[in-house]
Amino acid sequence: MVNAIKGLFISCDVPMAQFIVNLNASMPPSERFIVHMLDPTNMFVQPHVAHMIRSKIGEFRDQNSYEKPQ
Amino acid sequence: MAGGDGDRHRAPKRHKSSTPSKAALVDESAEFDYADDFDDDAHDADTEVKKRDFTKLELKVDHASRPLWACADGRIFLETFSPLYKQAYDFLIAIAEPVCRPESMHEYNLTPHSLYAAVSVGLETSTIISVLSKLSKTKLPREIIDFIHGSTANYGKVKLVLKKNRYFVESPFPEVLSTLLRDEVISRARISPEDSLGAPSFTVSKTSGQIASGHEDLLNGMEIAAATEDKETHSFEIDPSQVENVKQRCLPNALNYPMLEEYDFRNDTVNPDLDMELKPQARPRPYQEKSLSKMFGNGRARSGIIVLPCGAGKSLVGVSAACRIKKSCLCLATNAVSVDQWAFQFKLWSTIKDENISRFTSDNKEKFTGMAGVVVTTYNMVAFGGKRSEDSEKIIEEIRNREWGLLLMDEVHVVPAHMFRKVISITKSHCKLGLTATLVREDERITDLNFLIGPKLYEANWLDLVKGGFIANVQCAEVWCPMTKEFFAEYLKKENSKKKQVLYVMNPNKFRACEFLIRFHEQQRGDKIIVFADNLFALTTYAMKLRKPMIFGATSHAERTRILYQFKNSPEVNTIFLSKVGDNSIDIPEANVIIQISSHAGSRRQEAQRLGRILRAKGKHQDRMAGGKEEYNAFFYSLVSTDTQEMYYSTKRQQFLIDQGYSFKVITSLPPAEEGPNLSYYTLDEQLELLSMALNAGDDMIGVERLEEDSDGKALIRARRSAGSMSAFSGAGGMVYMEYSTGKGKGVQKKHKDPSKRHHLFKKRYA
Repeated sequence: MVNAIKGLFISCDVPMAQFIVNLNASMPPSERFIVHMLDPTNMFVQPHVAHMIRSKIGEFRDQNSYEKPQ
Repeated sequence: MAGGDGDRHRAPKRHKSSTPSKAALVDESAEFDYADDFDDDAHDADTEVKKRDFTKLELKVDHASRPLWACADGRIFLETFSPLYKQAYDFLIAIAEPVCRPESMHEYNLTPHSLYAAVSVGLETSTIISVLSKLSKTKLPREIIDFIHGSTANYGKVKLVLKKNRYFVESPFPEVLSTLLRDEVISRARISPEDSLGAPSFTVSKTSGQIASGHEDLLNGMEIAAATEDKETHSFEIDPSQVENVKQRCLPNALNYPMLEEYDFRNDTVNPDLDMELKPQARPRPYQEKSLSKMFGNGRARSGIIVLPCGAGKSLVGVSAACRIKKSCLCLATNAVSVDQWAFQFKLWSTIKDENISRFTSDNKEKFTGMAGVVVTTYNMVAFGGKRSEDSEKIIEEIRNREWGLLLMDEVHVVPAHMFRKVISITKSHCKLGLTATLVREDERITDLNFLIGPKLYEANWLDLVKGGFIANVQCAEVWCPMTKEFFAEYLKKENSKKKQVLYVMNPNKFRACEFLIRFHEQQRGDKIIVFADNLFALTTYAMKLRKPMIFGATSHAERTRILYQFKNSPEVNTIFLSKVGDNSIDIPEANVIIQISSHAGSRRQEAQRLGRILRAKGKHQDRMAGGKEEYNAFFYSLVSTDTQEMYYSTKRQQFLIDQGYSFKVITSLPPAEEGPNLSYYTLDEQLELLSMALNAGDDMIGVERLEEDSDGKALIRARRSAGSMSAFSGAGGMVYMEYSTGKGKGVQKKHKDPSKRHHLFKKRYA
């Protein structure tokens, strides 16, 4: 019997994957979204989290980039 | 989350080129396009192009041959490819503040302070306006003309003069003096000459009574004053301790009568002359001449600041100034090593006799003899507030009582304002000259220097000096080192928030990049390399692993000297590791490669100072000229761990250099993959061992090293994440130049604890 789950396939570089893993780990157990870690750069996650991950990553990289004050 | 997002994340960084910061010329119709340089695609709001309408500006017929654009808001844009560039540059640097100076287009800003500086070097309002309108492609906007008039009308009317160890405020216009005296601060600072008659209600009338004898009437007096350059002036004396406040009150944002400080050293017969001349082989370069001519414009010496890049020969400017004034000179440096260097420079460039020059540091208290002489010491020694040894007390007393012809202050940007105040209140000098390479501070305290020392007299353009072959042509590069999986996982953990810095500095990829660069430059090019690390743990770990000598705060003066000597002379020692003690003033002319593995948060001036360590020109002069054999002869690498806070700091730090016209090249593939096991930390096991070492490092090790002279306010606020080094606590780090260890003092202070914090058992006892 084949068991199929609908989900989202994420492919990114190693540090970003770690960021998502860390994000996943910081959630309460019921909201964790990583279905399967395929390898250090690819993973399979719940379909509804795309937006949340995008905004978290956006936030994180804003913290790390400097803009010259005008 | 597609792979493309990773790229998008990095895309904005690639904009770090040397395009002018804000402006790009759109077309000849005098319209400017204020494209925001940092159009980060994440913020769509920021990509909106701010447009200003300049269509009203009237373009002159022969605009093509004129070099600059002047906008109504005081901004000026200069085309560096214009044949008139050189003349226009000399003029603009005198009247305006440089904002950004890349290769083809410079941006300047007219400010009240910059105009103050212009008038103090002798430019007149009418000259400023006429030259500016001659150079401008468009008709000068009304606003600019009004602004220049408004800002310069009162300049130069009041002078501050030191006579026989007393300070006087002088002016040819008695009505100006009475205006000043109406100010509370100034009238309080005034010392009445006739003490018995001193009643406050007579202030104004007394001002006119102070007109020097020999004036028949006011009008006549003014004419004479104008004709003979203030030979007869009106003056009142002020309290030496209040000088700084009075000067501040007179600045444009208060009373708007900024004071000129000039010293007529040729006619000073009170202070003994010092027999010193520049040696014939000391030939100042054109820009050094120019900066000196700004200082000695009308045969007198003006106080102010000269800004030259590191390695461009600031010391020669200082020594030349002292040689022209030929009076006693007090030279202040930041640390003992640079005191030695200054003393050496004086002996190298001038004919001063050995007995006339003395050094005054905590290990080296040379008494000075004779009527006049040069004393080289540190800011700390002069400003030190605690108890001194008998020897140094005597010397300080001597410094205090003497009337100095020139107060020469090195690296003025590092010294905190309160220390300056102290130094300036202790020492009485006719003329103050501040030298620096980087007139930026993160805490925006730089404007304080305007009244503490004086206006900026000259600022050199870095790229012009590079083209002239006077400073090295540096290739700046930012090396992106991706974090390894394990390190980044630890970096993201909340409980490691205090260890973030040590984690991104100890990133094995960074270590490997560093090792590769050292090996490449040592073996392939035979270069001399300095590696900078602010983080003590990283410094020691890197240096031990790579077996290189290192210098940090706790390294003794003798050992520093020995390591530096080895580095300069031995073919075996080609790389040294420095903590931030090496940022300023340690003169290492041999080095031409810098690798920066960790830094002091977002401090722009640290970046510039570090670059300065390799700016001193090397090799043959003709090779260095534009089109010479070597395109680049110095290299500045900044190793950055991607996806960490370091990226933020790194971009911020580069701003000053980018404003000077430098561009940073981004290198992403270091070390090359084929290096593999040739470099350290290749295997996962080794990396994990390093990780556990980093995580277990004591709190005292992972923080930023703190030195005594550290006070670059704001940059620290975000960076300071843990306690400083153990040695700093014990009084060893950075305290070596102090007279006494603070151990005793602390013990006493600790006894007076806040009673509310006392343990309840003891509360009763003291109640």
